[in-house]
Amino acid sequence: MSRLIDPWGRPRWLRLTTWAYIAWSLVPVLAAIVFSFNDGRSRSVWQGFSTRWWWGDPNLSVFHDPIYTNALVHSLELAALDMLIATPLGFLLAIGLSRWRGRGSGSANFLMLVPLTTPELAMAVSLLLVFTQLTIIPFTWVALGTTAQVIGQVTFSVSYVVVIVRSRLASLGPEYEEAARDLGASARQSLQHVLLPLLLPAAFASTLIVFALSIDDFVVTQYMSAGGETVTIPMLLYANARGAATTPALNAVATIMVIVTLVGVGGAYLVLRWFGHRSGEAGGEAAGQMGMDLTGME
Amino acid sequence: MRNEGGIWRTLSIPGVVWLVLFVVVPAYAVVAVAMGQIDSLLQPVPQWNPIDWNVGFVKEAFTSVLPGGTYWPATRNTIVFVAVTVVLCFAIGYPVAYYVARKAGRSKGLLLLLIFLPFWVSYLMRMLAWIGLLAPDGYVNVVLGWFGIGHTEWLSGNPYSVIAALTYGYIPYFILPVYAGLDRIDQRLLEASRDLGASAARTFLRVTLPLSWPSILAGSVLIVLPMFGDYYTNDLISGSPHTNMLGNSVNLLVQGGSQKNLGAALVLVLMTILAIGMLYYLWETRRQQEKLAS
Amino acid sequence: MTAATGPAATIGGHAGGEVELIGLEKRFDDVVAVDRVDLEIASGEFFSLLGPSGCGKTTTLRLIAGFERPTGGDIRLDGASLAAVPPDRRPVNTVFQNYALFPHLNVLDNVAFGMRYQKVKRAERERRAKEALELVELGDYAKRRPHQLSGGQQQRVALARALVLRPAVLLLDEPLGALDAKIRRALRVELKALQEEVGTTFIFVTHDQEEALSMSDRIAVMHEGRVDQVGTPREIYEGPATLFVADFLGVANVMDVEVVTSDGRGCRLRVGERELRAECDFLGSGAASAVVRPERLRVLPHGESGENFIPGMIDRTIYVGSNLQVMVRLANGGLLQASVPNDGADLESHAQGAPVSVHVPPDALRILAPRG
Repeated sequence: MSRLIDPWGRPRWLRLTTWAYIAWSLVPVLAAIVFSFNDGRSRSVWQGFSTRWWWGDPNLSVFHDPIYTNALVHSLELAALDMLIATPLGFLLAIGLSRWRGRGSGSANFLMLVPLTTPELAMAVSLLLVFTQLTIIPFTWVALGTTAQVIGQVTFSVSYVVVIVRSRLASLGPEYEEAARDLGASARQSLQHVLLPLLLPAAFASTLIVFALSIDDFVVTQYMSAGGETVTIPMLLYANARGAATTPALNAVATIMVIVTLVGVGGAYLVLRWFGHRSGEAGGEAAGQMGMDLTGME
Repeated sequence: MRNEGGIWRTLSIPGVVWLVLFVVVPAYAVVAVAMGQIDSLLQPVPQWNPIDWNVGFVKEAFTSVLPGGTYWPATRNTIVFVAVTVVLCFAIGYPVAYYVARKAGRSKGLLLLLIFLPFWVSYLMRMLAWIGLLAPDGYVNVVLGWFGIGHTEWLSGNPYSVIAALTYGYIPYFILPVYAGLDRIDQRLLEASRDLGASAARTFLRVTLPLSWPSILAGSVLIVLPMFGDYYTNDLISGSPHTNMLGNSVNLLVQGGSQKNLGAALVLVLMTILAIGMLYYLWETRRQQEKLAS
Repeated sequence: MTAATGPAATIGGHAGGEVELIGLEKRFDDVVAVDRVDLEIASGEFFSLLGPSGCGKTTTLRLIAGFERPTGGDIRLDGASLAAVPPDRRPVNTVFQNYALFPHLNVLDNVAFGMRYQKVKRAERERRAKEALELVELGDYAKRRPHQLSGGQQQRVALARALVLRPAVLLLDEPLGALDAKIRRALRVELKALQEEVGTTFIFVTHDQEEALSMSDRIAVMHEGRVDQVGTPREIYEGPATLFVADFLGVANVMDVEVVTSDGRGCRLRVGERELRAECDFLGSGAASAVVRPERLRVLPHGESGENFIPGMIDRTIYVGSNLQVMVRLANGGLLQASVPNDGADLESHAQGAPVSVHVPPDALRILAPRG
């Protein structure tokens, strides 16, 4: 019998490249996590296992040093505020923009895309200048600090919410709404009784992405900050990563950030899968899109 | 449906007002500061009225980024670093995206999970990870030592480290759209190509690669845009002015020094360069779409 | 749907349901989707809009439902204009092409959905929804989610959901299109029976001529935004008014003929060197087209002659199981397709090259003005 050949053979070097890439992308992060358990002060030479930088050391460990605990609390605080404001704002904007035709809608659509296509630094500079130089209401109400940080984060988060919710709206098509209208629901009732429940998984997914965006954000958050009270974990990483005196507690706080994000995202994925299981595809699709949507694609 | 535009516009209003207040007005503030004056305390005095605009800083910014100017080294670094990073992202990322999208078979789910993971790890955490490994006494030098390669200073002014870090930081954002583009290609097209006599390699070159071109462009745009505003990678990995990028220059002028006018003007220069790039991208994607549509 | 007289009474029985389309027109930018359509649909009628995709039938339906705003003309229901009535206020309901069952609601809640807006009390809503589900024999599926049902079951839920509101008119947009052939045939019979039971006016959009012919009281054949012909299935199939209608409904032989004489009751035609008699009301003379259905032609052994016999030669015979498709080449070069029942006789007499005589019954010929 002659040897059967697979017309769609899988070159071994592609497989190797892929696994090598995955190792390259993840091993350094794992190493940084491992170093948070280092027994010595070094973040580059392994000196044995300990939990002193997590909780053992009464002054310098993550859970005891106020520098870290403050940053942790402030990061979570900003993330919560960002989620609370950006999600409803973006959700309504997505629904509105998807149906609003006529004067102004084109500019609104363009405006929504600006934060996605501008380097964050340009946004950060512009917000800094407007809050420090423009002396008219409402900008005079905003001082640098938590308020400005929330405003900055919401401003770029909103666009992500709009993109996610709109892609879900597009995949739903107009038919459910038409069916609701046909069965006697007014425009508002069909929005409330049909569109909103169907968009719930997308709203949920976008909330989580806003959370991840906020937790990980550095540039805008730094530009909008005002001193020690408003330092977040990414800001701590930026300020101390190269510091000679920095201990593995920095690795520990970074690890906490990674864990919080992954638990959130993993949990959200499971919830969306459950949504999807209940209604056929709706949530499953949203779960699949979560990764895609993060990049602001389609 | 009929005459119900009002409700949709109403729903959009809060979001639109937000974007006007915090995108449009700030953008104008940048222009006003760039076109403004400077007072005796070296503080910027924005000029809100276009009639009294002063183009001095903008002129200065434009000449400073050109060869011979103060920021020419940063411009040169930015161009070189960004170009090399895009090439590396393609060289590493495309095969990975290709394998996961079209050849992974049963392990596709697992591989997707693994290539998605870096998204959920903060960029700064991923830089921190390399700082530990690239430290003078770090494991990179240890491993290289086994091969007889001597001690290397990776973290002070080494442009190769900066490029490697940029590639490491941005490659997930490149892989994702490329993966999505490759995943969308209809298997029947590849079958048709093989059926019509093209070998596996020719099928890749003449069908798969051209069909994934738009997604390669999208991935490139996705990583080029943030790199033009990146100052943290260089600050963390090099810390040396020799490897400064344009982002570093802007950051130093606006956040560090007292030359906010020039910083704002530099932002305008940056945005002009990017706008030209985006126009090219839009033109190119339209051209691609027309090619497919006809 | 077997003898479910009880529930049928609760969901049917809306008086009226007479629809008039007057010069109805819909333009999208510079494309005319519906071009000045005039139709009168009687109360309780099963009326089909038949045509190929892009002929404007779905747009017409959407205009009646209220999803599109007409650019001209009017739609009247029982004499009152619907022009200014939004879709949720029209006593008209739709069964959508892909059913559009709400995925976040179970079957019962889907069926009860519309009654909420008719201010029906909750208990009453549930009772009527259950009855409607009984009527479509899905009483046991009330708590399921739409995606757990088969295509045929989903279609019946969509029907129940619309009918439970007792609409004056039910609009059906290719409701059988997404189903496979066998279920489609079974549902055709059920749908027709249901319509007779509830007595509601049905406006049914389809591109499937067999579907339209087998279910409708009357059919409007649409073509490029216009109505080519309106009539009973038999009128349309046997007496097509245009070549398009003849061609779209089944297989039609079209012959170029010359009308020699006509007197309003019959006429004489010349086909090549032969003369044929036709029973038709065509007036005038000159070049025309004659249409004849393959199943009306009889293929007889060579030598049979008399009125309306044409000699020819078998070009090809295709075996299709229940019958034979015989292509006969005529002396003038034309080709006629005849359908011969497969009665078990051997196929020798229909072998290629065999000389035959084709009988064209005078009442099977339909004379139309020439193309263009």
